[in-house]
Amino acid sequence: MLILVVTVMLVLLALGFPMMVPLAGAALALLFGFFSGIQPALLVQQMVGGVQPVVLTAVPMFILAADIMTKGHTANRLLDLVDTFVRHLRGGLPITTAASCTLFGAVSGSTQATVVAMGAPLRPRLLKAGYRDSFVMALIINSSDIALLIPPSIGMIIYGVVAGVSVGELFIAGIGPGLLVLALFSLYCWMAARRQNIPREPRAGWGDRLRALRSASLPLGFPVIVVGGIYSGYFSPTEAAAVSVLYALILEVGVFRAVRLSEIPGIALSTGLITSVVFILVAAGAAFSWMISFAGIPDMVLGDFIQAAGDSPWLALAVICLAYFVGCMFVDPIVVILVLTPIFAPLIAASGLDPVHVGTLVVMQAAIGSATPPFGCDIFTAIAIFRRPYLDVIRGTPPFIAILAVATMLLIAFPSIALFLPNLLY
Amino acid sequence: MTTSARGFAPLRLLDRAVERLEQGILVGGILAMALLNIANVISRNLLGGSMSFAEEANQGLIVLVTFMGLGYGVRRARHIRMSAFYDQLRGRARKALMTGIAAGTAALLLLLAWFAVVHVQQLYQSGTVTPALRVPVYLIQLSVPVGLLLGAAQYLLTVWRNLTTEGTWLSFTEPDVYHEAEPESASC
Repeated sequence: MLILVVTVMLVLLALGFPMMVPLAGAALALLFGFFSGIQPALLVQQMVGGVQPVVLTAVPMFILAADIMTKGHTANRLLDLVDTFVRHLRGGLPITTAASCTLFGAVSGSTQATVVAMGAPLRPRLLKAGYRDSFVMALIINSSDIALLIPPSIGMIIYGVVAGVSVGELFIAGIGPGLLVLALFSLYCWMAARRQNIPREPRAGWGDRLRALRSASLPLGFPVIVVGGIYSGYFSPTEAAAVSVLYALILEVGVFRAVRLSEIPGIALSTGLITSVVFILVAAGAAFSWMISFAGIPDMVLGDFIQAAGDSPWLALAVICLAYFVGCMFVDPIVVILVLTPIFAPLIAASGLDPVHVGTLVVMQAAIGSATPPFGCDIFTAIAIFRRPYLDVIRGTPPFIAILAVATMLLIAFPSIALFLPNLLY
Repeated sequence: MTTSARGFAPLRLLDRAVERLEQGILVGGILAMALLNIANVISRNLLGGSMSFAEEANQGLIVLVTFMGLGYGVRRARHIRMSAFYDQLRGRARKALMTGIAAGTAALLLLLAWFAVVHVQQLYQSGTVTPALRVPVYLIQLSVPVGLLLGAAQYLLTVWRNLTTEGTWLSFTEPDVYHEAEPESASC
């Protein structure tokens, strides 16, 4: 039974079928092969049920807010703000890049939107300053992945729904690890600037800084709404997402006048398309998850290991991290979360690990895996946006992957990096 | 539209109409969801009570957008897939694999659409209605078989396009263009 599922999935995946086919195909193969007594209509019921948790509504809302902002001026204003405060440091420009990506991640939640919004204006400046292109591209890709950890995060919403963990808690728990990665990246940028012997940029005057601060003050309202609103218990994640949309509209259409009202239907169409593409996977994933749980496959895969995990939660965490990391090297993180989470659920339950801690580790692995060769999906975003060959894009990635591996180990060893903030609250 | 698409004229007309419908549903669904949730936040925080129907309206809209957007995603060739092996192929082999993928996916979606019809029929017979709005559940979930069918139709059109037109086609309207920046372009 296990062999059948794995074979069906791997063959369909490798041949290049749309990801919903391996998921639904494996579920159907199990159903017809071993459980012919089950009504197939139940699979459809599971698919529909899979997209109905109300918190999932937050996904299209955050995407819509991000789409409106990407069209508008928010990204530039945030970038200017970081730039005026940081650029004079050694490695100031790459640190600006990492910090701006983190900050934009706090307003948009989409890795690809961050690569586009920050990579396009910053890469020419970094190259002009004398940084090697392989370093620059790897920096932009990996910094954009911090967006997965910083709330709002679509990866965390999907994980929260599939694993039955509070999305609000996951959001708050992502902040610590996100800032840790930013700090480690900044350190590496400082070292890279020293090694490549790049001169410092001139320091911005306080007049410029105040101007940048004033211009970015309204966009900075996004993290206040999302993090502050959820942290204070004032908003649920879905409500925070709805308010983000309203705020993005007021800002970009009303205040900055960067987006016209007539452009909104086009933006909504693009949001609807991405939503459907992601949610059809969530639907197929729900059918898959239901079917493999029914067939007892998680027990078959992990078996005795589930017993052992109770004695050694460290080992359990290491195995979970490795599985998600390797998965994301090959396949889109959302698919990996949909497939692996139900398999590991009994393990996480048996090991007594904090599901929020596990969630942040899983999302961090998704972030690392997506930027890791051979097939990490962000590499292909970068190839498309920067129009550079594959090998050039991946050449600079190893140091970043090493840094992220260190961050993972720190997060495993010190769960409070993630849990400190939510523990204050929940 | 390319010149090679002329032979598809009547079909193309129908296809355009369906495309407009899909676009309208996606735009309407997303904007309705935004308005609904914004109104709900305002209502809860300023007027002191959530709108009782917000949850089920959201669920209905999500189902609508997910399944009715399926076909539109096929048109735009946007469904996520791992194309590493496919990218290594050229010419006929590439076209053959794409045709096979489209045909296989169409078959799976048709099968699921059939199950969805049975599912909706059961809902119809049970007469279930949503708790707040009292809308029959089968009406809301009608978009599931319809969306799956439209998705299957787009994949079948992709097969047809690949069989009748030169070159490889990712969908009925999207030709497969090799990106200059793609890694394998070095070898061709």
